[in-house]
Amino acid sequence: MIEVKGLKKVYKTTTVVDVESLTIGNNESFGLVGNNGAGKTTLFRMMLDLVKASAGVVTIDGKNVRGNDEWKKQVGSFLDEGFLIPYLTPNEYFRFVGNLHGYSADDLKSFLAKFEVIFHGEINGQNKYIGDLSKGNLKKVGIAASFIGNPQVIMLDEPFENLDPTSQIRLKELLQAERKLRQVTYLISSHDLNHVTEICDRIVLLEKGKIIKDLRGNTTLAELEEYFKA
Amino acid sequence: MGFLALMIVGYSLGLGFALNGIITNYLKQDDSLLFVNKILLYYFGFEFVMRYFMQNLPALDVQPYLHLPIKRSFIAHYLLSKSLVHVFNSSVFLLFAPFTLTLVARQWGLSAALGWLGSLITISLLLHYLIIYYKKKWDDTIVGIAILVGVFGLLGAADYYQWFQLSDVSVAIFHRSSTILFVLIFSVALLTVLYWLNFRVFVSSMYGDEWSSQKDSATEWGKYSDWQFLQGFGAYGEWISLEIKLILRNKRPRTFLFVSIFFLLYGLVFYRDRGTGHAMPPSTVLFAGTFITGAFMINYGQLLFSWQSGHFDFTLTRPISMRQFIESKYWLLSATTLLAFVLSLPYAYLGWRIILFHLAMTLFNMGINIFIIMNMAMWGPQKIDLKKGGAFNYEGVGAAQWVMAIPILLAPFVFYLPFKFIFSNEIGILAVGLVGLAGLALRPYLIDLTAKRFENKKYEIAAGFRKE
Repeated sequence: MIEVKGLKKVYKTTTVVDVESLTIGNNESFGLVGNNGAGKTTLFRMMLDLVKASAGVVTIDGKNVRGNDEWKKQVGSFLDEGFLIPYLTPNEYFRFVGNLHGYSADDLKSFLAKFEVIFHGEINGQNKYIGDLSKGNLKKVGIAASFIGNPQVIMLDEPFENLDPTSQIRLKELLQAERKLRQVTYLISSHDLNHVTEICDRIVLLEKGKIIKDLRGNTTLAELEEYFKA
Repeated sequence: MGFLALMIVGYSLGLGFALNGIITNYLKQDDSLLFVNKILLYYFGFEFVMRYFMQNLPALDVQPYLHLPIKRSFIAHYLLSKSLVHVFNSSVFLLFAPFTLTLVARQWGLSAALGWLGSLITISLLLHYLIIYYKKKWDDTIVGIAILVGVFGLLGAADYYQWFQLSDVSVAIFHRSSTILFVLIFSVALLTVLYWLNFRVFVSSMYGDEWSSQKDSATEWGKYSDWQFLQGFGAYGEWISLEIKLILRNKRPRTFLFVSIFFLLYGLVFYRDRGTGHAMPPSTVLFAGTFITGAFMINYGQLLFSWQSGHFDFTLTRPISMRQFIESKYWLLSATTLLAFVLSLPYAYLGWRIILFHLAMTLFNMGINIFIIMNMAMWGPQKIDLKKGGAFNYEGVGAAQWVMAIPILLAPFVFYLPFKFIFSNEIGILAVGLVGLAGLALRPYLIDLTAKRFENKKYEIAAGFRKE
């Protein structure tokens, strides 16, 4: 369970994130939407202890993420290219992350097999460094790596951006299949309302750092479209 | 760079007018022209090295022009001729023109003198295109470095063991007024060939995908960067082997590595002609020893965290504690210091005492200096691009990096000098070694402190790296 309490980020005089309270339960599929500058990525970064909060705390399973490394085994994340290592081949990268999670060669093999549907023969076994991959392929590598170690929480920023249509559809299926297999909490931010409402049963709308809507149920997409039209 | 260019022009000009005076009055040579002709080949060797470090490939983002109706050959000619506008191409003229018109013209007659100057200028331009060709074809490849080291090593050896003297060759080529015209014709012909070679390379390399990355050289070095045995050291081994890949697969850290290897030879300059053993001033050895055993540590360490700037968030979100991260850095730097010590053992040839000094400095580097470096490197590190070349690249070098060397060089003297004055040299060196040992003994505690500091500064560092 992830709990956010009184979380604030202030840069000089502008408040970027201001979240009174937010609780994301286990096995929940949580979507975060909002226009550019709404504070989505900053909120995610604070949850990952990458940005120091001006006030408030984030706890995962009751433990503060700050000054603590234990949650890192339970949280897989991919926000941008800063989460990848450009001078490794994808396989070396997966092996490296796998080793951090105690993966055996067989674990790694079955992991790669699972993601082959989106890799499409362009990533596994390629002798090309990650830094030389196209944007779409970078994204695939990052998303796949966030699943290594079967973490309880998976956090993705704009997972569908830059992906080709086939991969978008397959990624959606993959995300849904994983939830049927085991307990997993998703935190997904996206500008694509169709995709995000399809995957997430709860959507939080952010505006100027504040939560202005917390939606569940069938009417979510309609409500969001109503908001963004204005 | 502009300042440097101005300095080179100024020095060349000044030296050019004073050349004859310096040779006759200060170097006490009777025949200035003979003396100049003797050293010409050395001069060109020096120029080559200077050019190697300071001359960049002619750069023009050609992509925006390729789809326009401009011939590729025109672009190549344009690039190659534009590259001629470079400060080094003026040096030879500025240095030798006054000398030619006054002294050479008087001894040889004007036409032979102009032929002489012409040859020198042509050879300088030849070096210009040779560097471009070399950098385009072989720079940063194993073959390229082998060729360079081989050629210079052989020339040095030939001179040292007196197989032949470069100065004799130099005199044979340049010091004859009757044949100087042939030298000129020959070098012009060579220049034409080199230009043509460059032209071919430039035209054929004018396809977009050639720029997008330096794949070839990356994979070439990549082959040698997978050190499986490190896996035996668990998580530390993983991170260290990752960092070794970083060093070997990216141009800039790789350049740092080569420069550090050259620093191992630093002692040859410093220790030579100073007598062996007792006669050598201990402070010299202490100073040189810091560099010899710690070159890589100091060079690489000043940007310790910037190296990971492109994937710093990765480091922070993956299951590794900050203490482990700092400790893996510690072991990597320590290992290079130890390795440098082992490689410096042949200095025993110049006196076994040098080895004791080096040992003391190795301990001091591992026990004290590493921590100075790691803590100073946290002081506002900046983002760097790993793919950009290393020579004269100041990206990521901030105030901290400039002053970092000062405490590192002074630190051993803080412990050496008092003991030297109270007791003796030997006790002074012993003190340096013992302080290093003490640092090693307190290592877990010092690493803890460093890691705690890092834990507090990581947000600031991460935010700095995210800024474009």
